[in-house]
Amino acid sequence: MLSRVAESLFWMSRYFERAENTARFLDVNFNLLLDLNKITHIENPSYWVALILVTSDKERFNNLYDEYSARTVTDYLVFNKSNPNSITSCIGLARENARSIIESISSEMWEQVNNLYHYLQNVTPQFVQNDPYGFYKEIKNASHLFQGITDNTFSHNEGWDFIQIAKYLERTDNIARLIDVKYHMLLSEAQSQPELVAGSEDIIQWMAVLKSCSALEAFRKVYLSKIDPDNILRFLILDRTFPRSINFSVCAAEDALWRISGSSRHRYVNNADRLIGKLEAELSYTAIEDIFAKGLHLYLEDLEQRLVKVGEQVHLTYFAYHTPEIESSDIEEALPFTGIAGGRANWSQAQQHQQQQ
Amino acid sequence: MIRFFERYEAETSQFFDEVISKEGAPRPHYDKMLHRFGQFSADDIKARREIVNIFFRNQGITFTVYGEEEGVERLFPFDLIPRVVPANEWQTIERGLTQRITALNTFLHDIYHGQKILKDKIIPAELILGSQHFRREFVGVNPPLGIYIHVTGSDIIRDGEGNYLVLEDNLRTPSGVSYMLQNRQAMKRAFPVLFDKYKIRPIENYPQELLRTLQEIGPVSRRDPNVVVLTPGIYNSAYFEHSFLARQMGVELTEGKDLVVNNNKVYTRTTRGLERVDVVYRRVDDAFLDPLVFRPDSKLGVAGLVNAYRKGNVTLANAIGCGVADDKVIYSFVPEIIKYYLGEDPILQNVPTWLASNPSDLKYILANLGSLVVKAANESGGYGMLIGPESSIEQQENFAEMIVANPRNYIAQPTISLSRHPSFFNDTELFGCHIDLRPYVLYGKTVTIVPGGLTRVALKRGSLVVNSSQGGGSKDTWVVDE
Repeated sequence: MLSRVAESLFWMSRYFERAENTARFLDVNFNLLLDLNKITHIENPSYWVALILVTSDKERFNNLYDEYSARTVTDYLVFNKSNPNSITSCIGLARENARSIIESISSEMWEQVNNLYHYLQNVTPQFVQNDPYGFYKEIKNASHLFQGITDNTFSHNEGWDFIQIAKYLERTDNIARLIDVKYHMLLSEAQSQPELVAGSEDIIQWMAVLKSCSALEAFRKVYLSKIDPDNILRFLILDRTFPRSINFSVCAAEDALWRISGSSRHRYVNNADRLIGKLEAELSYTAIEDIFAKGLHLYLEDLEQRLVKVGEQVHLTYFAYHTPEIESSDIEEALPFTGIAGGRANWSQAQQHQQQQ
Repeated sequence: MIRFFERYEAETSQFFDEVISKEGAPRPHYDKMLHRFGQFSADDIKARREIVNIFFRNQGITFTVYGEEEGVERLFPFDLIPRVVPANEWQTIERGLTQRITALNTFLHDIYHGQKILKDKIIPAELILGSQHFRREFVGVNPPLGIYIHVTGSDIIRDGEGNYLVLEDNLRTPSGVSYMLQNRQAMKRAFPVLFDKYKIRPIENYPQELLRTLQEIGPVSRRDPNVVVLTPGIYNSAYFEHSFLARQMGVELTEGKDLVVNNNKVYTRTTRGLERVDVVYRRVDDAFLDPLVFRPDSKLGVAGLVNAYRKGNVTLANAIGCGVADDKVIYSFVPEIIKYYLGEDPILQNVPTWLASNPSDLKYILANLGSLVVKAANESGGYGMLIGPESSIEQQENFAEMIVANPRNYIAQPTISLSRHPSFFNDTELFGCHIDLRPYVLYGKTVTIVPGGLTRVALKRGSLVVNSSQGGGSKDTWVVDE
């Protein structure tokens, strides 16, 4: 498979997953306000600032808006084109990547990305405000549909594995961020209003975390109704069977990487395999108490860093490929491989506009 | 002839109408079509238009217009009424194009080898050697089977009497074949019943024929050649077509940065290392192909590609340097070229052409700018053109200056009133729009022309320019057996 095609599959999948997770963050926030009977306080910034923290975009957000409110945060995370992580931007980038490899993906996959893109072009802020639940559900369903279409119309070979790696790396990262931020929110509230943290509001907030991962029902089946932070974190981080837990996602990414390289347990052939294998092994033998001993925030931060490293190694191993035996003038003259995360560079755009007969 | 056609004004005294004869009756091969369209109400047409639009949009068949806001994608305008070409007329086109392409290929071989035609003074040598598309780097190179022009899209028009004339030979990187294929798919979805009524020759095998042709021209030493398509990239206006053809053929679509040359062999960079490439169906202009040989600032090409080609380790389709034969000046010599190499009379005629490089022609051109169509020799896509009757005095003066400054670069032709075909305007009424026809010719071991082509239609009322870059649209084109 062409390195460029593999890379575009990777980023198409990653952006799609990111859009879905952003929709989940926003959706759950609205639900939370409903559950807490705080819908009248919908503009209260403390409920919205967390969503910006989750995406580590505080600075860019502050340059664009004066306040944290339902309106500004929704605008920033759904519509804003200068925010590369907004739902609109993500789907635009997913589509751009898909478009550049349209011959490699199934036409059904293309139609799905394209449909969602055109749907988003017609969505107004008013529409989202009137029916946030309906809108976010549409995005989540579109993502699920895309994954289903991919699984059923696209050969499960190398290209599919790159899609899986991207999806699960992105998902792991998003779950980690979500937990981290909610933990912070609860912590700061615990300091200011300790009576709340112990009370039902705490439970409702943790339930919201579960809901945003579609995990509430699955959690209940395991822990019945013992909703306490330890169990929730145990579930979201360490459960091996729930598809939106960190452990599951890391295992799935590992499987895909190993299928591509032919690595197996105890035998890795490249650094991407080694790093993901190490992470997976550690997760398998970690108890929630170990995480608390280290400190949840530090643990999650470390995890995010390690995911970045895995991503870098995937890039170096498969996308930035060049053979060492090619030296001399050929390689000097050939262009460096410039595929990048933020979509595609425009350096050759002008030349691409050459006339066609 | 009910409803839509009742109010249709064919104006047959001024134009050749494809559907209505001079006597005012429908031509026989359109009978069934008119009958079927006669059964449709305005709502039926609207519903079918919607089917077609959704089909095109879902397929991502959009067209990027340059000079507008970045990323403006438009649906390629499509007219619902297909053009019908009867089998006997098609036979003429087929024979004529085969003759023409065979002669032009022989001409290219001669130009890049012995240059006999120049020595015999059939064509002034300076016109060839001074052409910006003549590639001296390529003299003496032997492409496999001696074929240069593997894919051609000739533009054919009909004059006031309905004669088919060749307007342009596009021998470099002709585009539009994907629209031909997609138009057929769209029509099948929207008008299934109509397809029952005609014996329409299929065109769906074009991608297979293209792949077969490309494999036939692979380097002699390579069995089962690996074919790739080379595109300038996603910002190119024909990108959709490049990816479409790659997908239909089941081969890799590559950009310049996907390819690398080592030891005069071409490879793709893959997740598992390098893979040898034997045939490059390139949709990149000569000038951008190889920064070591042509434009050094090209970011679309592959360093070393031309050398690999010269060594015979890879075949490019089309060959480098074909532009020298589709130059609008050389065009005027094609009838002589056919006679010179084949000893035959041309089956398809040229449009009469005056060369500004010829002093007496130049005088005529300058005196008649208001009635002629002036074209720059090396431009395509409807750019660099003056349509005399539609132009202002100021535009004419501008062109006169440019022509005098560089006569080699200009030709002029009479304003031919292209044939017209009823087309929908706002899906509510029909009016006659000018059309042309671009069949696609494949040349490997044999010449293959899929029966049909892209009929381009000038959807602006009265406009003569059918190029998609200038707001033209297209129609499905049916070659029918009675």
